[in-house]
Amino acid sequence: MRTLWRHPVVESAVRALARNRLQTLLTMLGITAGVATVLAMMAVGAGAQRAIDQQVRAAGLNQITIRAGNWRPRQEDTGEAIAHQGDARETIRHPLLRSRDVLPIAFHPEDDPMEKHDHPTARQRLGDIEAGLGSAATLSFADAEAIRSLPGVQYVACGIHENARVYYGDRRWFTRMHGTDVELPSIKRAWTFRSGRFFTAREQRAAAQVLVVGQVVADRLFGAGVDPVGREVRVWNQAFEVVGVITSATWVVQPAPGDDQFDAVYMPYTTTHRLLNLSKLNDITVTAASSGHVTALAREITTLLRRRHGIGDAQPDDFTVFTQATRALTTGGLPPSVARAVAGNVAELERVTLQQLAHTLERAGRTMTWLLAGIAAVSLLVGGIGIMNITLLSVTERTREIGLRLAVGARGRDVLYQFLAEATVLSLAGGAAGIVLGIAASVLISRTLQWATIVSPLSIVLACGVAAAVGIFFGWYPARRASRLDPIVALRRE
Amino acid sequence: MISVVDLRKDYRIGDHVVRALGGVTLDIAAGEFVTIVGPSGSGKSTFMHIVGCLDRPTSGEYRLAGRDVSALASDELARVRNETIGFVFQGFNLLPRTTALENVELPLLYTRAGVVRAAARRARAMEALDMVGLTDRAEHHPNQLSGGQQQRVAIARALVNRPAVLLADEPTGNLDTATSHEVMEIFSALRRDHGLTILVITHERDIAAYGTRTIDFRDGLVVADTRHDAHSVAASGR
Repeated sequence: MRTLWRHPVVESAVRALARNRLQTLLTMLGITAGVATVLAMMAVGAGAQRAIDQQVRAAGLNQITIRAGNWRPRQEDTGEAIAHQGDARETIRHPLLRSRDVLPIAFHPEDDPMEKHDHPTARQRLGDIEAGLGSAATLSFADAEAIRSLPGVQYVACGIHENARVYYGDRRWFTRMHGTDVELPSIKRAWTFRSGRFFTAREQRAAAQVLVVGQVVADRLFGAGVDPVGREVRVWNQAFEVVGVITSATWVVQPAPGDDQFDAVYMPYTTTHRLLNLSKLNDITVTAASSGHVTALAREITTLLRRRHGIGDAQPDDFTVFTQATRALTTGGLPPSVARAVAGNVAELERVTLQQLAHTLERAGRTMTWLLAGIAAVSLLVGGIGIMNITLLSVTERTREIGLRLAVGARGRDVLYQFLAEATVLSLAGGAAGIVLGIAASVLISRTLQWATIVSPLSIVLACGVAAAVGIFFGWYPARRASRLDPIVALRRE
Repeated sequence: MISVVDLRKDYRIGDHVVRALGGVTLDIAAGEFVTIVGPSGSGKSTFMHIVGCLDRPTSGEYRLAGRDVSALASDELARVRNETIGFVFQGFNLLPRTTALENVELPLLYTRAGVVRAAARRARAMEALDMVGLTDRAEHHPNQLSGGQQQRVAIARALVNRPAVLLADEPTGNLDTATSHEVMEIFSALRRDHGLTILVITHERDIAAYGTRTIDFRDGLVVADTRHDAHSVAASGR
């Protein structure tokens, strides 16, 4: 870079520009405005895009859940007209597997909080047909790893879900226990940590007895407002250290008893494995990198798992792929009977419209970016014409100099490079100022208008590239003209 | 060194064809100091442009240092100008707001091997300035130098790439008499000490007298070719 800067062509370009400071400055201004617009607009566009994306993700639209077994909620009430509304329907259901073929959901016997059991019985464990999980425990870790390596997958978390009593001193609370993965907080975007942290990858590898508790559990066991991080609780007569408390990040979802998220405890699935001697998973949660690709990804996962499980063409899946919308309705805070009713009637419709919403939002974001890019293009065009103008002027003013350079041995292309370098240095200098101005503008926009703006390194690189391209493009014509001058004519010019 | 046979050059201005050179045949040996005289429009400048590889003849043959250069492509002509020829102009043509040293360095930016390294460039430029006795003005800008000094800087620039031929188009046209003679003395010394072949176009007879040979142009033809050394007169025909 230093040598490039010291290169005589660049040096002489800088010197030539320094000779006409005011002109140079005024010309730079055009490019500065253009580049600043590009950057600010990209920042606003990216900010808006991210905001949309975050909302979509917070709504869980990019989530896919794969559950062991092929049971599913009753859907007899779903009219075929609704079921056929969107192609998204195929994502969760194998074509061979019609809704009327599947077993209706059965209550998990352990869902009854009045039942007394402090240690998991065989019936509680996975693979227990009596537990109502349709066929069998079919999902393995290897499945999760295979899904992780699919393109378009963002996060993967495996899950084992049990009910458990958690003891702290003489207090106890019956709640959901999730054996899960370190990536879960990245998936649950609506989570925030009231205190502490999630368990770490190291703890997961070591199958450490650490526990992250939901806010409801924390409040019930330790009392409201008490920070339980560092305290020791007992689950299955094993000591666990509380490392964090999670709560809802949005007002939309309030932690409530029985909600499965905040009335729950979380431990590494490896710990669950070790203590309960399990080797299978209840489910795998996957997020798609882009909310628009959920459909395709769900289909790919289905294909992948069918192949891995050696399922023939005529056989039904031994697992079920859900996208988030149905799952939100059938689990979560709703009482099972209500959830079933809603899922039976609305699930397909709701899911289709949510996906369409995601598409629409993404399309709107793209449209906005293009619009802003158009505005930026116009300002760059104006700046570019300014550069062309001053470079033409420079060529005219320095015709004798060009003649002289040709006379002492410069080739046409040397002269071409010289003026191109001048135009490019000019536009890059303007671009650099524009980047500073653009960042300042973005900050100002986000401060005053409360719009999210993101100035990404890529957009800065792009802005530099655009500035250089404008210089080369608009410098080309005058430089070409200079390089084609007849040295004799050029030398005679006064 | 310079050998032209039946050199012709026509210019087309609108429908008219102007004959600038009407068939010039000349031989200039290495180490000659040739002064070229003649009225305006006699073709002497055109002749010098072709000799200096700034222009190509319409027809005829031109051999420079044994090499046929009349049909070279423009990039090759640029190389010949860079390596073999040094130009000195009436108007000096120094870059403004650029030091004498940097002006002299200019041809070194365009050598066959690419740009000469900064340190070497500086050393060679100082060497050239030394040949014209201006090392103490190296860091001066042209507007801080007298006319004679400016022309000496221009001569140093012409010398920096160690050319075989030095071409000067009315180098004294913008100088007073005393300075003119100083400049001509420099040319004489360069021929004497370094064996350079020198061509100088001039209007003035006393300036022309510095040459070892004077060629008269008129209407695109050589009308007289006079040697001033021992045997003196030798007219080479038309």
